Amino acid sequence: MDYEFIIDGDLHEIFLEKKDEQFYISLGEESKRADMRWISDNVVSLLTGGKSYCIYLASDKKQCHISINGHNFLVEDLSDEEEVFTGGEHGSEEAALFIKAPMPGKVIKINVKEKQAVRKNQTLAVVEAMKMENEIKSSIDGQVKKINAAPGDLVDPDMVLIELETKS
Amino acid sequence: MFKKILIANRGEIAVRIIKACQEMDITAVAVYSDADRSSLHVQTADEAVYIGAAPAKESYLNIDRIIQAGKDTGSEAIHPGYGFLAENAVFAERCEQENIVFIGPNSKAMKLVGDKIRSRQAMEKAGIPIIPGMKSELKDISKSKLEAEKIGYPVMIKASAGGGGKGMRIVYKEAGLKTALEAGKREAKAAFGNDSVYLEKYIEEPRHIEFQILADNFGNTVHIFERECSIQRRHQKIVEESPSPALEPQLREKMGAIAKKVINVTGYNNAGTVEFLLDKNKKFYFLEVNARLQVEHPVTELISGIDLVHQQIEIASGKKLAFKQKELQQKGHAIECRIYAEDPTNNFLPSPGKILFLKEPAGPGVRHDCGIYSDSDVPIYYDPILAKLIVWAADRDKACRRMKKALDDYVVLGCKTNIEFLKDVIDHPLFKEGKTTTDFIKDNFPDWHPPEKPQSLKELALAVAAFNSQDPNKQGRGYRAEPKETLSPWHKLGKWSIGGGK
Repeated sequence: MDYEFIIDGDLHEIFLEKKDEQFYISLGEESKRADMRWISDNVVSLLTGGKSYCIYLASDKKQCHISINGHNFLVEDLSDEEEVFTGGEHGSEEAALFIKAPMPGKVIKINVKEKQAVRKNQTLAVVEAMKMENEIKSSIDGQVKKINAAPGDLVDPDMVLIELETKS
Repeated sequence: MFKKILIANRGEIAVRIIKACQEMDITAVAVYSDADRSSLHVQTADEAVYIGAAPAKESYLNIDRIIQAGKDTGSEAIHPGYGFLAENAVFAERCEQENIVFIGPNSKAMKLVGDKIRSRQAMEKAGIPIIPGMKSELKDISKSKLEAEKIGYPVMIKASAGGGGKGMRIVYKEAGLKTALEAGKREAKAAFGNDSVYLEKYIEEPRHIEFQILADNFGNTVHIFERECSIQRRHQKIVEESPSPALEPQLREKMGAIAKKVINVTGYNNAGTVEFLLDKNKKFYFLEVNARLQVEHPVTELISGIDLVHQQIEIASGKKLAFKQKELQQKGHAIECRIYAEDPTNNFLPSPGKILFLKEPAGPGVRHDCGIYSDSDVPIYYDPILAKLIVWAADRDKACRRMKKALDDYVVLGCKTNIEFLKDVIDHPLFKEGKTTTDFIKDNFPDWHPPEKPQSLKELALAVAAFNSQDPNKQGRGYRAEPKETLSPWHKLGKWSIGGGK
């Protein structure tokens, strides 16, 4: 069977077939044989080319988290998705203009005013979470269009704190 | 001995103290907030009391609630752990008034060591070496030459109003003093609207060295050697070890004796830590006393064989120290790494969420003090420390290797951690040589990125992902049920970076 995955941001196709208790894996030109079996709900033992790997995995709604030899991978299965993710950071231009909180937390300080010109990496606001204060910095040279939060506000990561615009 | 102790804390330290109580046949009472009903410390304890809403102010910092929980459960003593109320003299006093034993120093000593100015004065009076510096601002620039000579070069110019390095200047020779002072004053004026500055000795290539102390209620004091905690990020320790590669036996003995003197000067009892800075010429300066059980206490336990939490409980219950200084030995080498829920590729921002899967490292000489489990939540309300990994081996090189292997074996899925970053720290040539200063992270890891992942492993990851997708029972395999409403939407968001596209 063919699968399409995004692994750490890159799209890959893989073909996996089971024959006589062995798995045949094809990635591009290459093909290899592996003996894979579940050890427990989150552990797979994989033997290939005489080598033994213990692989850990767990999934949330969207992604499968996989750990092999101390390296972690994030894999997204596109095979049965209706909408195909195009990969890459599309919309990053817009994202740069909408400054959001990086985590759920509390606004400690807003360092800028509306209409103020800002430089890239200038601190726009300070948000506190988990006992730590984090500076929210500007990703562009531009100016502040709108401020949607005030000190003391509890914010979620999907909330736009500050809207920026490129200077005309 | 106590029959019941309340542990006024959460996370890995609460679990560690609960276990010590249970080993001593003492009933352990946990307290928990709304965010912690399912947390490990509640599961581990013999009894558990709800104390309030998730924000710490309404629960773990709420003195009335905690005292009430102690009274309701008939607890004879309260162990505060570290953080929260551990160094709160008001809480210690309140315990004393309510006839509950506070497992820690007496409130009077706690107040003294918690007051930086008073404790500095007390130390100076007792002849304890402190960082030489002016006690008030430098009003008259013409006197700066004399002051700098008194302190000894190099000196640092610091802004009185300041912080964040603004107005700070290091001066190595008299010739540069005047210009640097003027520049420092200008910078301080611009940053804080106040140009007052003062002079302090500049400590070159400083190491953070601290001594573990135990003092019983009868005036017996021992030190259980040092811990070096130079590997810090934003003044937060992340790797600690004992012995320090920088101490020779003679210096250790001298510093240990001074540390005991510090404790005696302040009338301190129970477990405490005396912190010093050690410069490149092996001169050391008193910093402060930490009036609590330290996060890094396991390092001392592994090299000395002494259980510090047991000792704290014994001392608090009125027992005498069962050993003398000359009976104590520093054996082998121990290293601790703190495991945090944070994203090292994104400015070490805290990364709360759900732990989808945890595999704890284990094996000879490996200790894991842990506050999480597979499927546990990491709430946003508290410190992002998840666990501590501590190893012991016969010497430092072997301990480094053991730590590296244990970090390799450590699997946390679903929540970002600093594990990969720690591996690079332990593996760094300067760390291996023991050339550690408090600037180590700043100097050597200014812009850390995870190492390239081997292509062969990436292919295996894809193979296993396909294997997982193919599995007809995948609901019960790797795929876990969709988590119920968690306290943080963080884990659903995927990769975040400040300000969006970079």
